[in-house]
Amino acid sequence: MATLELPAEQRVDRLERMWQPRPGILGWLTTTDHKRVGLLYFWTTLGLFGAGGVEALLMRTQLIHANNDVLTPGQYDQVFTMHGITMIFFFIIPMTTGAFGNYLIPLMIGARDMAFPRMNALSYWIFLASGIFLYVGFATGNGPNAAWFGFPPLSSRPFDPNRSIEFYTLALIFNGISSSLASANFIVTMFKMRAPGMSFNRLPTFCYAFLAASFGLLFALPALSADCIFLYLDRMVGTHFFDVARGGSVLLWQHLFWFFGHPEVYILIVPAFGIATAIIPAFTQRKLVAYPLVAVAELLVVFIGFGVWAHHMFVVGLPTITIVFFAAATAMVVIPSSIQVFAWCMSMLTGMPRFKTPLLFIAGFIFMFVNGGLTGIMFVAVPFDQQVHDTYFVIAHFHYIIFGAAVFPIFGGMYYWFPKVTGKLYFEKPGQISFWIIFVGTNLLFFPMYVVGLLGMPRQVYTYPGNMGWTAYNLAETMGAYLTALGIAVLFANLVVSYFRGPPSGPDPWLGPTLEWATSSPPPEYNFPVIPTVSSAYANWDDDDRELDARKLAEGVMVLEQGHEHPVSTTVDGLFSEVVELPHSSAWPLILTVCLSVVFVMLVIGKFGVAGIFAVLCLLSLLGWHSREPQEA
Amino acid sequence: MGDYVFGGRREPEAPRTTEARGPEEVARAAARRLGLPSSWWAIAMLVATEGTLMGCFVATYYYLRIRAPEWPPPGIPEPRVVVPLVLAAVLAATSVPMQLASVAARAGRLAAARRFVLAALLVQAGYFAYEMVDFHDQLQQFQPSTDAYGSIYYTLLGADHAHVFVGLLLDVWLLAKLVRGLTTYRLNATVAVTWYWHFVNVLTLVVIGTLTSAAVI
Repeated sequence: MATLELPAEQRVDRLERMWQPRPGILGWLTTTDHKRVGLLYFWTTLGLFGAGGVEALLMRTQLIHANNDVLTPGQYDQVFTMHGITMIFFFIIPMTTGAFGNYLIPLMIGARDMAFPRMNALSYWIFLASGIFLYVGFATGNGPNAAWFGFPPLSSRPFDPNRSIEFYTLALIFNGISSSLASANFIVTMFKMRAPGMSFNRLPTFCYAFLAASFGLLFALPALSADCIFLYLDRMVGTHFFDVARGGSVLLWQHLFWFFGHPEVYILIVPAFGIATAIIPAFTQRKLVAYPLVAVAELLVVFIGFGVWAHHMFVVGLPTITIVFFAAATAMVVIPSSIQVFAWCMSMLTGMPRFKTPLLFIAGFIFMFVNGGLTGIMFVAVPFDQQVHDTYFVIAHFHYIIFGAAVFPIFGGMYYWFPKVTGKLYFEKPGQISFWIIFVGTNLLFFPMYVVGLLGMPRQVYTYPGNMGWTAYNLAETMGAYLTALGIAVLFANLVVSYFRGPPSGPDPWLGPTLEWATSSPPPEYNFPVIPTVSSAYANWDDDDRELDARKLAEGVMVLEQGHEHPVSTTVDGLFSEVVELPHSSAWPLILTVCLSVVFVMLVIGKFGVAGIFAVLCLLSLLGWHSREPQEA
Repeated sequence: MGDYVFGGRREPEAPRTTEARGPEEVARAAARRLGLPSSWWAIAMLVATEGTLMGCFVATYYYLRIRAPEWPPPGIPEPRVVVPLVLAAVLAATSVPMQLASVAARAGRLAAARRFVLAALLVQAGYFAYEMVDFHDQLQQFQPSTDAYGSIYYTLLGADHAHVFVGLLLDVWLLAKLVRGLTTYRLNATVAVTWYWHFVNVLTLVVIGTLTSAAVI
């Protein structure tokens, strides 16, 4: 405001006061700050990653030699199903979109918060509740046990009589609500909350990747929810969606599931692409090669992902023409994937790469992604696919993609943004050691799986005979699993020690290209004292703009310190449209989540009346949520 | 000051929309903003994901149907055609008063906006009441547990009715808000509820069209 001739310090003071969070635990329970929500996501997903990791180690321990009996067949079924569900729905998706996306996207686009801060908190609390819900099922012996894809008739009532599948269907729907809310929020945030001047062609590629993942989730999750609703109704109400004897179809489940399931795979991996495209320019000190192509390729991967689902179903007896169509569509994914691989590699080759830990993880990621990708293309050859279907070859392929390509960049990203979040530098040497242990461990873990798969070892078996020639490979895999676990332990030990003992990092230790490095580390509640000036996709490298920001702060332009004020831009051009007041610190997201959790618990045990009462309470809490409008807050 | 121009607009020139008080000020602020508000995009996202969910239900209907030797299966009466379609068309017509309510609210004509929402609400509530009775009557003839036809028939119909019901709740809530004056927040809410109803109306036409198709083709 031009009329208020205040010095810069006073404006910053006023911002500090305006954005002050509530103190203590209450501050965390009612928080709507995207950074706090991101950290809550981070710690929760880390806990669930630990659970999923223990499940993986249990499986590998069981399979260390033939005819082992650490786990019973029933326990093994639950453990591998829980491992899959946990890692996909409760680790990678919430870790990428929830933790990285929440913390970083508003910072990268020069915003002070998400478009809908309370909805953001709601998506976290629902995610937490759905995780607890799933593990309550597991702890009471009702863990899902029909694999992460839960095919009927195995998952139908006669073959799975206890509550396992109720926990499965309801946990996935519950979790899906959280992911849908988060996706809608990310999309609107990236459409509307960008700093004025950040037109769509100046959006960092990291954000394009998260945009692609969010759109993917928004359109893929409904198919999973529909499927889970049908299965739940079949089991609890007596409908016949998957009951062949009464006109149902078991293939219906598979079509809907994979219509969700394949885009889901790309949703897992695309944020990793985004992290890679954030790290590579910082550590090569050059702009990313082919920025527009990479941005489009990120979106295209997910878009094509919606047309390939039946390649999971080549052995179920589809017509040949269908199979050929889906094989061809699958081969098409190579194009956007290759564009990106070439862009990453060329950026590194033509830049000045500094192989610090984050870039090491990205280099490892490219190796793992190409490896898993090439074996993925092999499945396009239908006879080959039919041969290795349901063998360990498939397990090896998708673990190279999911662990190698999706999780490596997550680890790299943890190192890369650690200084931003904590204000401390991590220790480089242990960081590099952790990378090499994880890299060797994962390859030792997953590469022999290709071999045992080709030797015919089926997936999802709790043990195997000793005379098949699989034992040595399985031993190697188990050693690899423990080595990987050791590497991950070194990684986190390094981060924990660095948090307490690390040297201060300053705002921008890597000379990063994007706006999160333009503010202090850790960022203040309001992120930026001045809404940043943006005139390219590498905003933090535009020194003139950063000087302009300092002048603006002195003159009080775009400081917006009158309240939780935020500029809103037009979707494509990033023109300055309006200033809105954002809501903040609300208890309603938590209250709504508690009511919703009771609804889901009651649905598990079939108490529809109580569930209805709590559904009404959910509506009432929504009423309370909207009772105070932003301008009254 | 003059140096800092963002897309042809300096900071003090952008409307502080959530600060607007009273119909005239709200209308003026809304006219000065350059794009659609975040709330419009949010409802678009809801429609996208809900539309996909209902699309999966409709796809399931046809998937089961093309695999069935007879549709509806023997022993189950063919669905009525004329009355449900006419009623769906009547419901769809409420898109007109809802849109008019949005236009009126945006122009700051609060009383007109309230009247249009109320008019739409009455028709929508009438539709919902009839459909509830009809739903109950149909359950006497065959159930979701009869066979797969019954399962998808009632799931599809019930899901559509649930969307109508949520729309009614939104209408009532919106009216209660509009009675106490107009703010930018309430203007955005009116537009959002209007778009929700456009979606539900199209959805109802699709769902009723799908369900009645068993008797036609």
